[in-house]
Amino acid sequence: MVRAPDRVRAGRGSRIDPTPREQSRARYPDRTGFAERDGIQTFYEVYGQGEPAILLAPTWSIVHSRIWKSQIPYFARRHKVVAFDARGNGRSDRPPLVEAYAERELAADLLAVMDATDTERAVLVSLSLGAQRALIAAAEHPTRIAGLVFIGPAVPLGSGVPGRDAPFDEPLDTDDGWAKYNRHFWRRDYEGFLEFFFAQAFTEPHSTKQIEDAVDWGLDGDPETLILTEGARGLDADATVRLCAGIRCPTLVIQGDADAVTGPGRGFALAEAIPNARLATIRGGGHIPNARDPVRINLLIRDFVRTIGTLPP
Amino acid sequence: MTAVTVSRTAAPTTRTWTRSLSRRRRALYLSSPIGLGHAQRDVAIADELRLLQPDLEIDWLAQHPVSDVLEARGERIHPLSAELASESAHFTAEASDHDLNAFQAIRRMDEILVANFMVFHDAVEAGEYDLVVGDEAWDVDHYLHENPELKRTAFAWMTDFVGWLPMPSGGEREAFLTADYNAEMIEHVERFPRIRDRAIFVGEPDDIVPDDFGPGLPSIREWTERHYAFSGYVTGFDPTPLVERREDLRRELGYHADERVVIVTVGGSGVGEALLRRVIASYPDAARRVNGLRMIAVAGPRIDPAVLDAPAGVEVRAYVPELFKHLAACDLAVVQGGLTTTMELAAAGRPFLYFPLRDHFEQNRHVRHRLARYGAGRYMDYDASPPEVIAEAIAAEIDRPIDYLPVESDGAARAAALIAPLI
Repeated sequence: MVRAPDRVRAGRGSRIDPTPREQSRARYPDRTGFAERDGIQTFYEVYGQGEPAILLAPTWSIVHSRIWKSQIPYFARRHKVVAFDARGNGRSDRPPLVEAYAERELAADLLAVMDATDTERAVLVSLSLGAQRALIAAAEHPTRIAGLVFIGPAVPLGSGVPGRDAPFDEPLDTDDGWAKYNRHFWRRDYEGFLEFFFAQAFTEPHSTKQIEDAVDWGLDGDPETLILTEGARGLDADATVRLCAGIRCPTLVIQGDADAVTGPGRGFALAEAIPNARLATIRGGGHIPNARDPVRINLLIRDFVRTIGTLPP
Repeated sequence: MTAVTVSRTAAPTTRTWTRSLSRRRRALYLSSPIGLGHAQRDVAIADELRLLQPDLEIDWLAQHPVSDVLEARGERIHPLSAELASESAHFTAEASDHDLNAFQAIRRMDEILVANFMVFHDAVEAGEYDLVVGDEAWDVDHYLHENPELKRTAFAWMTDFVGWLPMPSGGEREAFLTADYNAEMIEHVERFPRIRDRAIFVGEPDDIVPDDFGPGLPSIREWTERHYAFSGYVTGFDPTPLVERREDLRRELGYHADERVVIVTVGGSGVGEALLRRVIASYPDAARRVNGLRMIAVAGPRIDPAVLDAPAGVEVRAYVPELFKHLAACDLAVVQGGLTTTMELAAAGRPFLYFPLRDHFEQNRHVRHRLARYGAGRYMDYDASPPEVIAEAIAAEIDRPIDYLPVESDGAARAAALIAPLI
């Protein structure tokens, strides 16, 4: 057994390329644009063609739509694929109001992007916090959503990760571990927070590239905006259960059992709460398996999509 | 809202399954498009494989520039090849001036590698292949080890170097990253020996660098000797006839007996303009030192000859057909540090100066080590070589007696003999 050397923290200023530019993509969008709602612009990309369309929902605004870079080129060979940056990161607007980041607003953006891209109906694939906006959209607009895929869903069901209970708003006398999940620390060392957070997101060994990518996308955002998203209104447990009970479309939950960000229990609970949902467990998998195990996740989504007709219910 | 409708009258989709003993032997061959050399050696190996197994049908999952070589030979190119994302365009995008951090370029190609692995997977899922040959097909090797249940055929893996090595400019971080990549590769291979049915090192054990994979990791040579078979170098062509009739060749190419011909070439990529300019600038000084010096600079398809500002006496050509003949006939060549061209010059027994791209670990460490073993060529540090240093090196090397170790000429046959038992 060979042991990998201990992780060396990249740290500020130690990047090999001091001005990182976006690396080559495997595929570039056929069309880009902005969907506008209440004066707020949401940047989207459209790739490929073919039914059913696949809508890659944005996750928490800590990153933008590049988080789907391992899915887009594959699915765009057979399907219309739509990806967009949630307000708060990437090329979308960053409204300076906490209310603007409520899950209902993001669900409305999702529908607005579907309208702007002439996407009547799509399989909706979400990651982490994207689950909440996906649930709202699917429960309230069932004719628009042909199927749901949740990856590492961050929903207030089941149990979370032990030790993630440090207060967000109060100054703390420690920066250890999840104490970094704190507005004062974000303002002090945003990159340090991102490095910590994505090291938790990718618990799998040999994830240096995935962590670097995610930190870079995080640095495309900013701490003040992320603080607003943290204060915004998400779903509570009752609302989540109600929305889940109303889901009628085919559903797949993909959950890593070594997820150290939400804990695996939330995904398992979501799969139980949605009628007839299927659960695919990634043993040894972390929070963002679409980036760390892209081949398997692509094939899981492919097989799921194959079982879905394109007719509305 | 309009519903999406599915046509009920579409023709039925059809599938064919061939009974096992009705199947022809079929191989899917992948040849790395990074650099220009793999295509040449892989078609030579494919020819030898067909000699050993005459009913073998080979499809190539290939992209530019490999596909150009294959099309010219009338090889069968898998239709899904059209869906591959370009690795060579990525490498060109990663390079600048005389600089290419090859390790980081591979890392930054991860999106392309996943996308291309998915294309590969589609091809083998539908193709009834018995064998996959991957010559530095990084995507196939990596993702098969990550997804071992997706292996559907025998797999022969080939490479001419083992081990990611850090360059000094990358500091502690790059040393950590290369070791981590090596450690993952070692864990993959040791945990899943069933993935690579045959691992072939294109070279001999002495070509392996004397380094470790990283702190606490094995010696590259010791580990590679345990996990690989050795084919010797594969030139892809036999230089002997060219070498034997070199004087005739010179006449055919218009090189006079009293001329000392220097060929400067940077391959087909856009990387190399800086080197071309600098070598061209050395010409007046070099011509004072070497009587009858004639310099021919090959710009290649990506560099505009007009931008090179060549002084009088230097011929700049956009393209030279059968360049290898010119290299075999010349008095001295000036090239980058890529393995294929330098080894062609070693096999042809010509003196040459080679300038590895800055931060390119393969050219600076693996290739340099191999060339030193053959005693071939003179390593040049681009940063320490202003035109006068190049002129001096041209004068010193052009009359150097050639005492290179002979380059193997049976490499393709040896590689094929190692692969053939799998089909």
